[in-house]
Amino acid sequence: MIAQILFVVWRESIEALLVIGILQAWLVRHAAATARAYLWGGVLAGLVAAAVLSAGISAVDTALPPRGQDLFQMILMLTAALLVVQMVLWMRRHGRSLKRELEAGLSAELARGRLWGIFALALIAVMREGAETVIFLQGILAATGWSGEALLAILAAFSVAAGSYALLQLGGRHLNWRLFFRVTEVMLLLLAAALFTNGMGHLVSLGLVPVEPPVWDSSALLDDTSLFGSVVAGLTGYRATPDPVTLVSWAVFWGGIFLSFRAQRLALARA
Amino acid sequence: MLRSLLTVALLALAAPALAEDPVYTLEFKDGGFSPARLEVPLAATVTIRIVNAGSTPVEFESKALHQEKLIKAGADVAVVLTGATAGDYEFFDDFHPGAGKGVIALVQ
Repeated sequence: MIAQILFVVWRESIEALLVIGILQAWLVRHAAATARAYLWGGVLAGLVAAAVLSAGISAVDTALPPRGQDLFQMILMLTAALLVVQMVLWMRRHGRSLKRELEAGLSAELARGRLWGIFALALIAVMREGAETVIFLQGILAATGWSGEALLAILAAFSVAAGSYALLQLGGRHLNWRLFFRVTEVMLLLLAAALFTNGMGHLVSLGLVPVEPPVWDSSALLDDTSLFGSVVAGLTGYRATPDPVTLVSWAVFWGGIFLSFRAQRLALARA
Repeated sequence: MLRSLLTVALLALAAPALAEDPVYTLEFKDGGFSPARLEVPLAATVTIRIVNAGSTPVEFESKALHQEKLIKAGADVAVVLTGATAGDYEFFDDFHPGAGKGVIALVQ
């Protein structure tokens, strides 16, 4: 039971931790205090939203139309994916001059848009898995009568999560910046791919696209139903048995990344 | 006596209507689920009722079906599959990792 709580809570919080941890590390590096305020404001708003959302589910139970829930999740995921990609593109372009630009109020419109983008991303990242985590914890605690064992497991899970966050901050501070940025950039893009793939998958659960059997089975390589495999699937969008919708999502996402990176490179070269 | 006759008569009239929409149920209970293989005849719209008969919350998840449903203890939820192709679709309980996976088999 402890192992179950540890794993589930860690897994639910890792996505939000990566997003917030990486953004915090990027923003600290460029001394963008205002931007960090938006980040943590978003986290706070996300916690409140998660509490409200979980209470809402508690109150209405199964009366909430399942299609409504699916649509809501889909919008959240696709929005989050878009915000992550925008953030990555923006850091690639403005990273070095971030502090100067924000302080001088240069490209104020663009900067303000990005600041609210950071707020929204933090909010969504925390709220999405936060509501699920609250319901999971409520249920476990109720079932075990708030046993010391359960509480200890929850504390341990959050400590491990906090450790991952701390590791990111240390990396940002002590590693070669270019290396850190490249690695964390890839981590965020993979996360965005997972969000996009998952979000597009809702077209099937909403009944807009038919359920199709998988095109191939790579479970021999990595089984996405194993513990490790399921975490990889959640953080990268990997699927062992992808159906056509998944394959199209992958192609659209990575194709889009390739094109937008290239467009940015060309624009910067021309400037 | 009259009341019993009336009840039977009403049930007899209602039987065809009740028989029209068979409900396929999957029951989850604190990490276990039954049946391990649920066979459902293929139709344009397939409705499966997922029940949480345990004391802890479960999350019905099937990557193949693109379904992820949180179900609190004692609650139940309906999963609707539209335009599905026949085949075996795996599912598991995301809140009870290591509890194994089951199969929803859509058969012609």
